[in-house]
Amino acid sequence: MINIVKHSIRFFAFIFVQAFIFNQLEIGLGIQIMVSPLFIFLLPIELNIFALMVVSFVFGISIDYFSNTYGLFASSALLIAYLRPFLFKFLEPRDGFLPGAELSIYQMGYGWFSTAFVLILLINNFWFFLIEQFKWKEVWYIFLKTLLSTPLSLGASILIQMAFFKNTSNK
Amino acid sequence: MRNLIAFLKRFRIFIVFAILQGVALSSYFTNLSFPRSQYLTTASSLSGKMMEINNDVTKHFNLAYNNRKLQYENIQLRRKLAQSNIKIDKGVIKINDTIFQQQYDYIPTTVLNSTVHKRNNYFTLNAGNSSGIYRGMGVISNNGVVGIIHTSSEHFSIVKTVLTENINIDVMVEKTGVYGLLKWSGKSPKIGTVSSISNDLSLKKWSEIVTRGGSGIFPKGIPVGKIKSIKTVEGKPLWDVEIYFSEKYAKLQNVYVIKNLLIKEQKEIEETIPNENE
Repeated sequence: MINIVKHSIRFFAFIFVQAFIFNQLEIGLGIQIMVSPLFIFLLPIELNIFALMVVSFVFGISIDYFSNTYGLFASSALLIAYLRPFLFKFLEPRDGFLPGAELSIYQMGYGWFSTAFVLILLINNFWFFLIEQFKWKEVWYIFLKTLLSTPLSLGASILIQMAFFKNTSNK
Repeated sequence: MRNLIAFLKRFRIFIVFAILQGVALSSYFTNLSFPRSQYLTTASSLSGKMMEINNDVTKHFNLAYNNRKLQYENIQLRRKLAQSNIKIDKGVIKINDTIFQQQYDYIPTTVLNSTVHKRNNYFTLNAGNSSGIYRGMGVISNNGVVGIIHTSSEHFSIVKTVLTENINIDVMVEKTGVYGLLKWSGKSPKIGTVSSISNDLSLKKWSEIVTRGGSGIFPKGIPVGKIKSIKTVEGKPLWDVEIYFSEKYAKLQNVYVIKNLLIKEQKEIEETIPNENE
């Protein structure tokens, strides 16, 4: 129950932060800071894949609604929601995830979080810029944008967790 | 039948994924070329309201620059006022000018939301149908061309700016009248390109590019930019011309929507041109 409330609040908070703060920041070189993948990344592991995809789709389309992107965020959010179970299976620790664990920096550690989240970000950003440009001629520019946006997005996502998430690990 | 059900069961995750992905992508690509609805855009009322609140916060960042610009324009207009001019020829009295009829009307609006670093950039304006703004009208600022209205709702509208791939505004070199189409390469919001200028025509660096006014969207002679570089396109008898835009789109706040009062007449007479494909 607490989980539902928590994730609902995050749902709106992440839409707001992505659409009204990070989409308004224009750094140059086509860099775009993506924090919306963090919301999908932190949804419970036990969540059914269908529910995950529907939630991500609605989440993405809500960001599109506020930033004139007509479905770009929905498309990339849906893609990472679809690939998330495969990725987690691949990166699962030896003993498996703890039941009810949240994959934040506090519970999984900086190393694991960064590895997994960078993979998610690379997929998300590459897809996003690929659909946005949609030209083979500009494929190097797409790679450049993906590579430049990923570290900044990772930094922003870690900072968000350090600032707003409670340290719930029992160490 | 059983095979089909087994197949659907096996791939049901992928099928749901593909359907939703299809919805998202078709929404994106149809909206790029022709806006089917305004529900998913910042022209809708809830999103527009949010943008207005957002703009209330962020508009102050560029206030100094925009005030200076408006002041400069005011000076220019003031110079044209009767009180700042001396009548040289005392004998001529002008009554009811019938030679000139007004063709273009200007609707002042404010930019609520803007991006300049995406591949296709759209601005949201705080006026819509209720102010007489409809799809297809031109948008300018006092320094140059901004774009064309893409969608409009009751109180908001979205501009497809010159910072989109295929804006295709007809432009010309001011002095010589050589004309081409304005496009954007997506690299920098300061640099645009002009295509389809035949390379047997000579061009000079730093010559001014202005609108041609052929389609009736913009008046003739609205500044666009200055020529930055001229290269030849490989394998085609065309120049590849890069220009510096005369407007700084990242800081833009006050724009004018152009209403062509005679567009209907122009469209009607142009329809009488016989179509050669028939």
